[in-house]
This record gives sequence, structure tokens and C-alpha cells, in this order.
Amino acid sequence: MATPPNTAGVRTSQPGVLLLVLLAEVAVFGLISRNFLTLGNAAEVSRLSVEIGLLAVALTPVIVGGGIDLSVGALLGLSAVAFGWLWRNQGLPVGVAAVLAVGVGALGGTLNGLFVARLRLPPLIVTLGSLSLFRGLAKGFTGGTETYTGFPAGFLAVGQGYFAGVPVQLPIFVAVAAGYWLFLHRTIYGRAVFAIGFSPEGARHAGIPVERRVFVLYLLSGLAASVAGVVYVAHLGQAKADAGTGYELAAITAVVLGGTSIFGGRGGIAGTVLGLLVIAVLDNGLLLADLPRELAGVLTGVLLLVTITIDRLRSRAAAPTLSHQTEGEFEMKNSQLAVLCVAILAAAGIVAASNWYLMSSLRPPAPKPVTIAMLPKSKGNPYFLACRRGADEAAAELGVELLWDGPDGTDPAGQNRIVEGWMTRGVDVICVAVENREGLSPVLRKARAKGIKVLTWDADAEPDARDLFVNQATPEGIGHGLMDTAARVMGGKGEFAIITGSLTASNLNEWRKHIEARLAEKYPDIKLVVTRPCDDQQKKALDETKAVLAAHPNVKLVMAVCSPAVPGAAEAVKQLGRGDVKVIGLGLPNENKPFVHAGVTDTVILWNTMDLGYLTIHAAKQVADGKLKPTASEVTAGRLGRKVIDKGNVLLGQPFAFTKENIDQFDF
Amino acid sequence: MLIVLAVATPGFFGSGNLRVLLVGFAPTLVAAVGMTFVIVARQIDISVGAQFAACAVVVALLVRVGWPLPLAALAAILTGAALGAINGLFVAHLRLPSIVVTLATFFVLKEGLRWWRQGELIRDLPAFQWFGLSQTAGVWVVVGIAGAVFAAAAGAARNLAAGRAVYATGSDEEAARLAGLRPNAVTFGVFAVAGALAGLAAVLEAVQLPFVDPKAGTGMEMRVIAAAVVGGAAVSGGRGTLVGTLLGVLLLGTIGSAIVFLRLEAQWEEAIQGGIILLAVASDVTARRNR
Amino acid sequence: MPPLLKLTDVSKAFGGVRALRAVSFDLLPGEVHALVGENGAGKSTLIKIVTGAHRPDGGTLEIGGRLVTDHDPLAARGWGVAVVYQQPALFPDLTVAENIAIALEPPGPWRRVRWNARRARARELLACVGARIDPDADARTLTMPEQQLVEIAKAVGTDAKVVVMDEPTASLSDREVETLFRVVRDLTARGVGVVYVSHRLDELPRIADRVTALRDGELVGTRAVAETTRADLIRMMVGRELGAVFPKVEATPGRVVLEARNLACRAAGVSAVSLSVRAGEILGLAGLVGAGRTELAGVLFGLTPADAGEILLDGKPVRIGSPAAAVALGIAYVPEDRRRYGVILDLPVAANVTLAVLRRVSDRGFLNFRRERGLAEDFARTLGVKVPSVEEPAGTLSGGNQQKVALARWLATDPRVIILDEPTQGVDIGAKAEIHRLIGDLAAKGLAVVLISSELPEVLAMSDRIAVMHGGTVTGVLARSEATQERVLELALAKGVPA
Repeated sequence: MATPPNTAGVRTSQPGVLLLVLLAEVAVFGLISRNFLTLGNAAEVSRLSVEIGLLAVALTPVIVGGGIDLSVGALLGLSAVAFGWLWRNQGLPVGVAAVLAVGVGALGGTLNGLFVARLRLPPLIVTLGSLSLFRGLAKGFTGGTETYTGFPAGFLAVGQGYFAGVPVQLPIFVAVAAGYWLFLHRTIYGRAVFAIGFSPEGARHAGIPVERRVFVLYLLSGLAASVAGVVYVAHLGQAKADAGTGYELAAITAVVLGGTSIFGGRGGIAGTVLGLLVIAVLDNGLLLADLPRELAGVLTGVLLLVTITIDRLRSRAAAPTLSHQTEGEFEMKNSQLAVLCVAILAAAGIVAASNWYLMSSLRPPAPKPVTIAMLPKSKGNPYFLACRRGADEAAAELGVELLWDGPDGTDPAGQNRIVEGWMTRGVDVICVAVENREGLSPVLRKARAKGIKVLTWDADAEPDARDLFVNQATPEGIGHGLMDTAARVMGGKGEFAIITGSLTASNLNEWRKHIEARLAEKYPDIKLVVTRPCDDQQKKALDETKAVLAAHPNVKLVMAVCSPAVPGAAEAVKQLGRGDVKVIGLGLPNENKPFVHAGVTDTVILWNTMDLGYLTIHAAKQVADGKLKPTASEVTAGRLGRKVIDKGNVLLGQPFAFTKENIDQFDF
Repeated sequence: MLIVLAVATPGFFGSGNLRVLLVGFAPTLVAAVGMTFVIVARQIDISVGAQFAACAVVVALLVRVGWPLPLAALAAILTGAALGAINGLFVAHLRLPSIVVTLATFFVLKEGLRWWRQGELIRDLPAFQWFGLSQTAGVWVVVGIAGAVFAAAAGAARNLAAGRAVYATGSDEEAARLAGLRPNAVTFGVFAVAGALAGLAAVLEAVQLPFVDPKAGTGMEMRVIAAAVVGGAAVSGGRGTLVGTLLGVLLLGTIGSAIVFLRLEAQWEEAIQGGIILLAVASDVTARRNR
Repeated sequence: MPPLLKLTDVSKAFGGVRALRAVSFDLLPGEVHALVGENGAGKSTLIKIVTGAHRPDGGTLEIGGRLVTDHDPLAARGWGVAVVYQQPALFPDLTVAENIAIALEPPGPWRRVRWNARRARARELLACVGARIDPDADARTLTMPEQQLVEIAKAVGTDAKVVVMDEPTASLSDREVETLFRVVRDLTARGVGVVYVSHRLDELPRIADRVTALRDGELVGTRAVAETTRADLIRMMVGRELGAVFPKVEATPGRVVLEARNLACRAAGVSAVSLSVRAGEILGLAGLVGAGRTELAGVLFGLTPADAGEILLDGKPVRIGSPAAAVALGIAYVPEDRRRYGVILDLPVAANVTLAVLRRVSDRGFLNFRRERGLAEDFARTLGVKVPSVEEPAGTLSGGNQQKVALARWLATDPRVIILDEPTQGVDIGAKAEIHRLIGDLAAKGLAVVLISSELPEVLAMSDRIAVMHGGTVTGVLARSEATQERVLELALAKGVPA
């Protein structure tokens, strides 16, 4: 085959800048990160990018064709749920269920395709709507709560195993990417896509069936999303309605970073793969260097701006004749642009350098202390921040190095990524508040096999995947505690409502299950009238509570089961002046003090969160030193004294009820 | 087309529910006004939710260190304007696609904010909630400010040369340049204004609660874009009205309440919302085509 | 009398390409100064320097006797310069009244808009240019000539001292051209100076006082129109005398290839069209702008499929529901708006040439780049496309060469019928002659050619038969021998023909 013509239109946009960035990343992280330049790490980097990679690869032709598809992440979630339902509830073999789930993706893609190609609606809006629709359907059918798990090992191997030394999903990704590359850059269909991207009317005048071609792009993107959905399930071992939340933006970022023009016509698969690598390496490198994960987001944003700016400046310099129209302004602004770019690059450089400096200054001196890595369910949650304060206290007492990192809260796969990173980096103990039991347990087992001690806290993994579980309270205890308190406040009868965090959060759903069980079992005169999600936002809890109280005037009590919802609900009751309604919930004392004192909130239930972090670190240190075995019956933890261990569960003690009388004694 | 809902639910507009809804809508409406200008100018702003969160944090921190609230609010609005101006600089002067620029600033702002604040609620705010007024007065101040901003924006869009320049620029940028309208300044301006309005929206939301949540505004960009589009703003630029946006905000905002009133399961809310967006866009375009 | 406008030794380069070299030009009050030259001669650049859209690299610009520095479109308005661009630059989403108002109202973002005053002024100006257009209509709903008239109304309304008109008659019907000339004379009577750019050399004696010719960015000379012949002008523009502009190769038509019977399409505004074209024949399609010629071509090519009547190919009825179907049947269409539809400017020449025959340069769907390149180079050679490499983007080519690329794409499909829509519009005279020769060759090779052109002499010279359209239907078909300008115009204006 002859070499492809190196021409302005059909070539992939100059990947030079990106390649340099990638090399720079590898060089920097090779220096500052531990175990960055290892084969195992390379394999893991690739495994973690496969789902987003599949979406990004499928999005590339869509964007080249002048469109966009925001619905891919939601369609991934819908396909995952459909797959789980078909397999578990319909009893279909895994293979058949997978094929049918891909059919769901095809249907979703067809819907987008019909709206965009046939009705000629703007794709940004169509897929914004279908993003909502697909995610909503997934939540609707599962009630948000249903989680499909327990897939056969043979299937899970697709997402968790190795094939000839590389993660199994990598060959799948490579095959799909290669297929897309052939499709876009080597077939007449791909050529038509470029023509359509530059000028849909021009392409139509050339006899290209534009509608059909555009339709196929969205169909393919739906298919890829559902394949990604199946791979996702295999990788995490669970299918839930929130799978793939926010993946669309990550995928679009990779595509655009890879040089594909958002206006259509220019770009290519190779660039997308490169863009994907740049992001994945950045993420992984920062993790191994124990730099904050937020930095990855910030740097991705900066990189995006810098690369498109450089690209723009170069294309202006290279082809001034094509920009007659703006040339006047350009001449004026040239120097400003240069200054601006230098400023951006300098800023990025300073951030990187200062972190590097910070890193080197924090490098542990010999002898190396015990390193304990602690993983909350999500970062940026006041509950876990309180845990961290306790953990920091214990780490200082014991002289251990504490790594603290967590996912950003939207992506259930986030925890896997971090644990994998820590394994590569090499730590002594990993302490995890497990978000997703089935998905994370295999990874934890792998860590144990490598000689890393594993503790779970806050929420448990499968028992054989950890040494100890620091148990603050059982879901049953929490559920019963909340329901009993509610019954006491309500005097044993009446209506109440629940404000929850999100319909898909597994711990909240677990608690709700026990609340409802207790209700059915003990309180026949009490009725739960409605359950509303607040997306973990105070303001939404406020608005939802107001709506609930307006629609259900007989509600006597609002039970808030996530920490932002408690003050939000209390504020709503206060604003409405409903002295007859009380709020109870699970939350932190500091946020609720004014409401408890004002008598709006009756009781806030929680264990001592700081102590949870403190106890975990103490237990972890002793496990690392070999002083504490899973079979032990008690442990001595600093200022907390002795704590009982029951069948591998370190018990923190009973949940605590904060009321008007005692709440001022606590500060967290 | 836009008045479909809510009729079926008796008592929906009754009692204090309307006022409750109004004060809840005020911040979204103010942010959506900014987004409408951006869309009419044929741009898009993904970063508005992140700007919103940043401004909420700014106003809260300033109040906590003792600034008077009006001054802190002004600072938040200026912060928003500055953040918007950064977007504007990249889009207008470097001629970069707005969707990419604002996607990038969205990441930078969102992650930067989390890095800085770690998601902790900002507490101990003296004379903050309801501007330190009584609740009733505070509610009217919030609704009043949002109403005034809306009226001013609607008036400006229709009857001020600058407003018409936004429509002209969105309709055909090159023609605007030839007509001496300075489309670069217009583009820059709409981003700065959208940022300032995001800042104001953040203030209006922050004062409704005793604490400030640095995660506030998550997902707001999609809500306000959807509201503007359901209200008839065309992403191809040049078309869209603020009254339409108001209806869009009301329609999408009432879905949640309506579900509660109609006693439907909460889990279907998002699907209904998506269906309404698709229907609204499809019917709007089909109607225009048949005209 | 001091000149209204004076350019002295103005130069301008775009990234090393010199568009203007030390050109001087002046405009006196009350005169029409025509500017002629081939495409790429620098006329547009010169105009844009006057209107502030470009800044000169060297030389000086004086307006009303004062030196202008720091020029831009807004400042130009302040200096009393108004412009009618060749491509109407209206805002499609705004009303006609607002479009006019934006050009007339003083700048300043914090001004209040007075809608009633806007409407009244628009109505007045539209009446002045003889246009019957609703000021409240969205500009997107206007036809091309209507848009042009709105542009002219804008220029008239500005009270400008200098009015620049860039090919104002390109899309106007003859009647509208007459109105335009009247408007121009009114302007000059008031002491306004008009810079008039046109490809239609025939117009110049009727409207212009002086004429300046540019060639390759350089000034050739300025003459009084009264003392200049058409031949002089052509010589000034191309630097050599052209023989026949319209060579006609005689051909003997074969049997009927394409026939339309009572064809109608409501969306395109075409009704009851019956016509036929034979192999080896050039069928001219004449008519005023808006008569429905391009729309008829759209129906035949499947862009707007017919909803009544029949299309017969080789006597067999066919259904043409899409351009793809038309291509499959051997029908080709080279559209009028070359830059929007004819070629895809950002794609390489090679990809443009093969876009309609992708299957021919591929094996089972996979592109064969060597074959693609070979095919494109063959056509570039045959048609004389001047391009360093077929991998250059088509947008870097001149208008005439772009037209050849568009033609190459359709010749590559080996069509039986080819519809050429204004193939020489906006093409310089040298390229025009070449395109005419090519059209003759096509017919000689046995293709059925449908030639749409607004230049009556071109249609008359090239066609074997001429079908004349008015109001979306064919009002008559003339044989070459009976076709005269007068006869065609009569049919085009539908005199004595029931509409």
C-alpha cells in the first residue's frame, strides 16, 4: 500500500507537541515517582484507560464528522445495567447477555443517530438530552439501588486477568482502535466522514449519503459505549446505574487533546490514543509521586489550553494566506499571544517545580518508616476529612508516613486506580473504605499476594481480601438506630420522608434497606411517604425538603441519611417555619450545632469519625509490625485504649447520638 | 409547548410552594441568563458550574475574615467576571473553540477548588444568611435581585445596542466585523458577563444556607444549557430569548417538584428530564421548519 | 475639486504573497470609478483597504483630503465610506430593518434601540432602491437578489461620501440592474463618489466615468470610459487580446438521454417542467435569477426530489431521491456556489476529485492512495489545473482552478448527463475561455450537457438549444438558429406567456 498523502485535510493533526509532552511526563515522573518506569505499571496504566479509551476512540469519527456525543458515558451505564439484568434476572448466559447489552448500545446510538441525522438537530443538544435520558433509564429500571454482582470468574478475567502478560482488555482496545483507525483513515466511509466534517452540504453535493454516514457514526459510538460497558462490568465485577458517570468529558478531552478539531474535518485515531496516554500517564505518575490527584485535573486542563493554543499559533504561522480575514487583528495581538503562552507555560512550570521540590524535601530519610496508604470513599467529603484528622494524629504519634488519597466521588472505578497505583509505588499497608466490594476485592487480594497488608475501614471488602476490618458500626446498627430514633421522636406514629445522597450510593442504600426492614418489623403505625436524592448537595437537600413538605403536609419527620442533607433539610424546615417537623440524620456535629440548638434537628447520629481514622492507623501500624494478627481478640490503640476484635472486626463502639445536651463537646 | 406541565398537579402553585420554588430558581435563573447570552453569541460555556462554586467559596471566605457581605458579594461577582474574562480571552483573542477552552477551565477550576478546599463546608459566617436580614425579607431580596437582573438582561437583549450586537455576532461574526461591531469585544464581553452572573448566582444561592458548600454548582452547566436550549436558544447562534430561558428554567426546575407532587418514584426524574429536552428541541425545530 | 478618496502607492502582502504593489487610485465627487481586473488582480484587497477591513503595508490612504491612519470598518463608517460586498453580509437571524439599522446607527454599545424608527427608515430606504421587502422579515428568508438590494439600501442610507460596490449586479436580474443604475445616478447627482467593481464589462459604458484596471496586484492604468473600448479593457486586464471568448465546437446530437415530463417539486418551487437533452448536445438553461434554474437542477440531481411528474433516462422512468442516486444513474451536477458546495476547500485536490468516485479508487471499501493520486493527477493534467501538487488543499487554488477541480470530480464519475450551474461565474477571462473549450469538448464526446448561465451571450454562444425559465417552469425552448437576446428575454420575462 502506498503511503497516505500527507495533506492538510486527511492527516491527523500534528502530534508533535503531544509527543513532547508525553516524553516530558515520562522523564519527570521517572525521576520523582516511585516505580513509575516498570513494565507492571505500564500494563496497569493501560488497563485503567481502556473504558474511557473505547469511548474516546468511538468519539473521534463523530467529532471529525462535525458532531459530538455527550451520551456515551450514560450509555455505558445503561448497557452495563442491562447486561447485569439480562444475566442475573433473566438467567441468560454471560455471552448472550453481553451481545444483547451491545444491542442496547446500538439502540441508544440509533436514537441519537435518528435525531441528529434524520431530524438534523444539533448533536450537542440531542446528546445532552439523551445523556439525561439514558442515565435516567438506568436509574429508573434499577431504582438506582440495584447492583448486579457475582459474575463468573471466567468473565471477570476479561477485566481483571492477564493475557500473555498484558491485561486482557488491552488487546480488545487495540483491536477496536485499529478497526476504527482503518475505518476512519483507510476506507471510503472514513473519507466521507472527513468531507462531511468540513462541509456537510459540500459532501451531499458530491453524492455522499450524508444522513446515512452520520447515522452510522452515532450508531458506532453507541456500540462502542456498550462494549465499554461490558468491559467495565468485567473490570469492576459489578453493574450499577452510575457506571461511567462523567466519562464523556474525559473521553472528549482525550480526543481534543489528540488534535481532533471540535469543528470537524481534522483529526484522527492516532492522536486520540496519544491524548489518552498523556492523560493516563499524568494521572498515574502523579499518583505514584503521591501528589494530589486534583493536580491531574488541573494539569489536564492547562495542557488542553496550551496544546490548542500552540496548534492555533502554528497553523497561523504556517498558513497566513488562509486567515486573511483576521490577519489585521493577528498582527496586533501577536506579541500579546506570545506573552500569554509564556505566562501559562511558566505557571505550569512553577507548579510542577514547586511540587517536585516539595516532594524531594518530603522524601523519607533513612531508615524508611512504615508507609500506610489510606483510601476514603471519596475526597472532599467532610465525613472523611474528619477521619483524616484522626489518622493524621495517629500517624504523628507513631511516626509513620501516611498517604491519603481518594477518588473524586463520581467514578466507582476510581478506587481501583488508586490501589493499583499504590501497589506499584510500594507501600506497607493499604487501608480502604470500600465503595465497591466486588470490584475492589480482587485488587486487594492481589495486594495481599504482593505482601502488602490490607485493612478495611468504614465499609468492608470480602473477608479474604483483607487482614482486618475496622468496623465503626454495622449497617444494621445504623439503620436500626436511625429508625428507632425516628420512632421515638414521632411518638410511634405518623408519616416521615427520607432525603438520601444519591440513589446509587451503595452504603446509603444498605442503610435504607435496614431502615425499611426495621420499619416493617416494628412500627406499623409509621409510614415512609417518599425518598428523594440530594446529589450530596446541601442546596439540593434544601430544595427537595421544601418540595416534600409542600407535597406531603402530614410529614412529621425528615430523616437525612447523608451528611450534607442533614443541615440542608434542617434549613428547609426552619425556612418554612414548620415547628411541627423534626429532622434527624447521620451527620457531623459541627455542621448541625445551630440546628440542634434551635430545636429543628432533634438528633444527629454518628460514631466518632476522628476516632475511626485514629484507630485505623494504630491497627495498621501494628499489623505492619507483625504485632497484630487477624485472629487477635483485642488491640490497644493509643488514647482510645483497648478495643475488642471480633472475627477480624475491630469494633469502634456504638454509634453516638448527638443531642442538644452533648453536641458542644465535639469539634469535628 | 412550554406550559405543558404543572397544570395536572392541584396545589402545585398554591400555598407557599410558589415562593419556595421562586427562591430556589433564582440562582439557576441568573446563571442561565448569562448562558443565554453566551449561546446567542454562538459560544458555549462548560465552566459555569465551576465558576459558581469558586465564587461561592470566595464570598464565604471573605465574609468569614470579616468583610461586610455586600463588599464580599461584589468581590465574588468580580471574581466570576475575571474567570469569565479568561475564557473570553482565549475564545475571542486566540480564536479557540469555546467548548474546548471552557472544558479546560472547568477542569482547572473544579480540581483546583477541591485541592484547595478539600470539600469542607465553610462555617461560622456572621450575618451571612439572608444578608443578615429576616428570612422573609431575605427571600424577597434574593427573588428581587434575580428578577431585576432578568428584567435588565431581557431589556438589554432587546433594546440596547450592546444586546443587539450579541445577536448580530452570533448570527454572523464576519458580517458583524464588517459592520464595525467588534465581535471580539462582544465574545469577550458575553463570557465576562456570564462569569459575573455566575458569581452573582453563587451569592444568591450561598445566602440561602448557613454554610457554604464548595461542591455547590456541580452539574449546573448542563442544567443551564438545557434550560436555555429548551427555551428556544439555538446553539447555532443568533436566536434565543430570555423569556424562553425563564420558561426553560421553570420547566426543568419544576420536574423534580412535580414528581414529588404527582407521587412518582424519584428514580425516573432524570429520564423524564432527558425526554423533555429531546422533545422540546425536536418540536421546536420541526415547528420552525414547517413555518 | 479635491478627490474624495486618494490612495497613493499602496502595497499589501499576505504572508509573502504580494496582493498589491504600489497602487494609486483616486475618486472624485460625483463620479463612478470602475475597477476591473481578473480574479486575484487585487481588486478585493484594494476595496478592503478602503473599507478598513485590511491595513496597508505601505503607501497612504486619504479620505476627504485627510490622511487616514489606524483604519478599521467602524472608522471607515465615520469617514463616510459605505460598501456593498459581493457576497451579501447580512445577519440571517436578524430582521431586514435591524440589518439596515446596524449599518446606519451610530456606534456605542449603551445606546437604546428605537424599533419604530428603525422600521420606518428601513421602509423608506427599501422603497428608494425599488425593493418590495418586509422590514420585519428575517434576513434568512430573503432570496439572493433581495439580500443584494438590502445591502444597497444600507449603502444608500449611510449618507456616505464614498460608496464602494463590489460586483453589485452579480446576482441581479436586468430589471433590478436598471433600478440599481438609477440609484447610482441619484447618488452621483448628490456628489457622492462610487467605486464600482464589475466583471460585466458591458455595463461599464452605461454607468462608469473612469475605469482603472489592475493586473497581478499592479496598476495597469486609469482611463476615461468614453475613450476606452471593450477590447482595450480586455487587453488591460489580461495583457493580451483574446480571440473568440466563446468558441463553439459543432457537434451532432444523438438520441435523447434525459427527459423530464411535467416535473414538479413544491419545496423547490418548480412546477410542470418538461424538457429533454440529447447526447452530444448542450442545452442552455436561461432565465432571470430566481426563475428556478438552480432549483430545477436540484430536482434533477435529487437534492430536492420531485414530488410529481417523471424523469426518464434513456426512455426509462427513474426515481432520483438523492444525489447519491443521481450519481449512480450517471447524472452529474457542478453547482453554482462553488466555495460552499462545489469543492471542499479544506480537502486536498486529490480527495476532492475522487469524492464522488471513492469506490473506483478503493478495493472493497479500502482506499488505494496510489490509484487516487493517479486519477487526480490525470484529471489535473487534462483539465489544466494549475496546482503544485494534488495534495494541496483546494482552498489554496484560484477560482478558475477550483472550478476545474469541481468539474474534474464530475468527469471522473464518467457521467452521461452533466449539469453545469454558472460554471464561469466569478472566473477570470482566461479561465473562462478554457472552461468554454472544455464544455465544448464534453459535448463532442457525447455527453448531454445542461448549461445554466446568467450571461446571455454565453448561453447564446454555447448552446445547441435554449430552454428559458420563468417562475419555476419552462416558458419556451428555442433552437440555436432562432435564439436571439430579445427572444430569450421575452420568454424570461414571460411576456405573453401564461404564468
